[in-house]
Amino acid sequence: MLNQIVEALKKRNDLAGWTVRHVRTRGAQVYAVPQGIESQRVVDGERYLIDVLRNTSTAEGTPAMGSGDASLLPGDDIEHAIDQATLVAGLVANPMHGLPGPAALPDVPLSDPALQKDASRVMRDVMEHMRAAVAKHPQVRLGAAECFGEIRNTHLINSRGIDAKQESTQIDIELVLHGRKGAQESETFDELRRRRVVDLDLEAAIEDRVKSTLDSLDATAPASWQGPVVLRDEALAIFMTGDDIGGSVIRTLASAESKYAGISPWEMGKPVFRGEVRGDPLTVWANRCLPFGSTSDRFDTEGLPAQRIEVIRENALIAFAASQRYADYLQIPATGAFGNMELPPGKTPTSELLAEPYVEIVQFSWFNPDPITGDFATEIRFGYLVQNGVRKPFKGGQLIGNYMDALANVRWSAETGFFGSYLGPQAARFNELKIAAGEE
Amino acid sequence: MTDLKLPIAMAELRPALGEIIGLGLRQRAPYFSVLLSSRHGLSIVVDNREERVTERPPTAGTVLSAFDAATNFERAIGGFNPQEVQSAARDFLQGISFQKFIFEAEPERRGDFVTAMQLDPLELSTQEKLDRCREVQRRAKSRDPRIVNVRVIYNELNEHAVFADPSADLAQRVQRVNMFILVIVSSPTGDVRYDFDVKSGSGGWEVLNWSDEEIQDVVDGALALLNAERIEPGEYRMITTPNVSGVLAHESFGHGVETDMFLKERARAAHFIDKVVGSALVSIADDPSQPGSYGSYFFDDEGQIAAPTQIVENGVFRRGITDRYSATALEIPRSANGRRQDYSRKTYARMSNTFFSPGNSTLEEMIAQVDHGIFLDKCSSGMEDPQGWGIQVTCHYGHEIKGGKITERVFAPIGITGYVPEVLQSITAVSNELQMEGGTCGKGHKEQVPVASGGPHLLLTARLG
Repeated sequence: MLNQIVEALKKRNDLAGWTVRHVRTRGAQVYAVPQGIESQRVVDGERYLIDVLRNTSTAEGTPAMGSGDASLLPGDDIEHAIDQATLVAGLVANPMHGLPGPAALPDVPLSDPALQKDASRVMRDVMEHMRAAVAKHPQVRLGAAECFGEIRNTHLINSRGIDAKQESTQIDIELVLHGRKGAQESETFDELRRRRVVDLDLEAAIEDRVKSTLDSLDATAPASWQGPVVLRDEALAIFMTGDDIGGSVIRTLASAESKYAGISPWEMGKPVFRGEVRGDPLTVWANRCLPFGSTSDRFDTEGLPAQRIEVIRENALIAFAASQRYADYLQIPATGAFGNMELPPGKTPTSELLAEPYVEIVQFSWFNPDPITGDFATEIRFGYLVQNGVRKPFKGGQLIGNYMDALANVRWSAETGFFGSYLGPQAARFNELKIAAGEE
Repeated sequence: MTDLKLPIAMAELRPALGEIIGLGLRQRAPYFSVLLSSRHGLSIVVDNREERVTERPPTAGTVLSAFDAATNFERAIGGFNPQEVQSAARDFLQGISFQKFIFEAEPERRGDFVTAMQLDPLELSTQEKLDRCREVQRRAKSRDPRIVNVRVIYNELNEHAVFADPSADLAQRVQRVNMFILVIVSSPTGDVRYDFDVKSGSGGWEVLNWSDEEIQDVVDGALALLNAERIEPGEYRMITTPNVSGVLAHESFGHGVETDMFLKERARAAHFIDKVVGSALVSIADDPSQPGSYGSYFFDDEGQIAAPTQIVENGVFRRGITDRYSATALEIPRSANGRRQDYSRKTYARMSNTFFSPGNSTLEEMIAQVDHGIFLDKCSSGMEDPQGWGIQVTCHYGHEIKGGKITERVFAPIGITGYVPEVLQSITAVSNELQMEGGTCGKGHKEQVPVASGGPHLLLTARLG
């Protein structure tokens, strides 16, 4: 059917360009409740996504460009879908922009061979592995868990000659641990996304969560705090990269789309901070080439090849992450999607970043800064106040501040780690953050 | 005759569902059902510099479910190809040994349903919809020189579902629409701030009419934020707008009473049935049958006919909202809340339209009761904590209330935190109106479904930061 779509598009002389993506997915899902396996699912999907460009003109007669899209399932009416997309493209008159042309594609590793071979078996194995790892700790039990594995194949062809394929795998894990001590109960909830089972590092991940679950049995509400706050590992990765829903401040402000819309005040060559930088300098790469990065690819939805782009160098904006459309609008290089976030190692060993006193936040309820202003007031699910050699667990309270102001006063660890869509320092010490007291 | 406007392939597969159910039951599945689900839509974005008309990522597929009261086995197939679906129905249960279980006979449910609307989006051309968006954007964009952009975002969600099991043959077309206005302003120093408002509902374009006053309110809100302060963290008396009240209901006795969470021992509410959880002024319900609300539907993804559930009644927790699995396991009556993001995901117990019921006070009376407090507006996000019964709700901003009057002083953003029973117990006045607002709800950070939440204004005490 892909060939039929391509042939149909080639026959159209009313289009300025087109892209077709054939996306096939297959996967397995296993869901557990305390009583056993709640649900097992096998899921397939297949569709064809068509994007078209069409020359239009503004009300004043200036040449312009319109775009439209359509999706087809196998067997759908190809001509009808193309007609619909073309019709829509004729309705809008945006500044001229085009499609990327062919370019060498990097060979980015994206797949787990075991998952490609038998997703159902791998997901059942992961579930059993989690159960076994938790079972080593009699004070803690696995309350619920979900394991998703998916294999995705994409074949992209466009009118400028790109003809590219990629296969990727993705694993999503959710797990809930319950702890109990007398009448005290605690719960930890976690999500992990990786491309390979091995990168889940389940043993270590569960050891960490077991410790948090047990420590939170003794947690109290925090007092107000203003001073050093340490984030490590997954908590730091979430702080840096955000999530699928809330987005990320750096990704938003460093996107050409935001710049074009007037949302991002960042300017090329200028500092990304509004005030003095009192901590380590900030350097950030947008990296889609990261092996097994959860937002890595060989090419993005427009067909732009994966790149490792230095976005921020020593606090100054070096590049916007730009799709072809917004690159053309702003007359800047097209980088493609942002992808994973990479930071260079810091200069300070983690051990020095843990100079007492400090607060360590292990888990947020949901770290959701305003992606435009960077302001945040976010509940702390679990953390420690570390002073006088004692790690005192707490839960509740709010971390309050501004994202970019926080990054202007941080020290990064020399040790680095890989956490799905983040590669960079494993720990960060924010020198001056505020925590509002929680309820007793 | 009801015009479902079912996708052709879905309509063609529908007559074969009886035979497919028979295939499943003959393989000794104690219960077998088929869901055909198609979700597609349109997005239009118009701002000062660009216009975009795009398809919302469509999903379409068939779900075969075999359930033995212990495990739900599902095969989800993209599309509605009769041969593929029949082949899957024959193959996917092979090798599975079901636990013996006899389900109670369910009442016969048959019918085709369509959202009531005056201006059906599917009857309007894309050009007409685009022109309507342009008109709203035009009315907003020149209201102040500090405006750097005004973005109007229109979303149209067209959902079709066919559900069949041994006692059900149901079909529905649910039409949802929403429109956001986002006003972005900049200060002379380059600070960027924004405000937004949304109209939403299940229905047609008649839901999306904006008055000049409403548009001006968004502009004024954005400009006020240029001078916003951060609030001093602490405990405050506050009045929540219906939008914020709704998110409080959603995060507290919405997520907290999804009974799949009871089964997973993740919900503290499981231990509070028929116990006092809030002030006697507090009543909370979930109602997928509420006409016109964004989260409405006629039957859920498990074929349960939509009906209201009284969750909290005069401060007492009565019951939760269920999916089939948790209702079976917990041996409780089902409610029509078994929902899935799309055919590729499983069903969970999910909210529909969740709200505080109105009380007897007027807003003016409530404001007059506050000597020093905050008028909280525009919820931007919320997160549940069913086990810990914590609340995290983030408001885009709030106005100071001083001496029983709302002042010009603005704080932003404002996070509300607290322990659910204490927050609900602190409610001392409830206004006499009910307003709903649509949005999207995740289970944790995924499984997105359209919902609405709302209520009246509430006067309460909680921690702000």
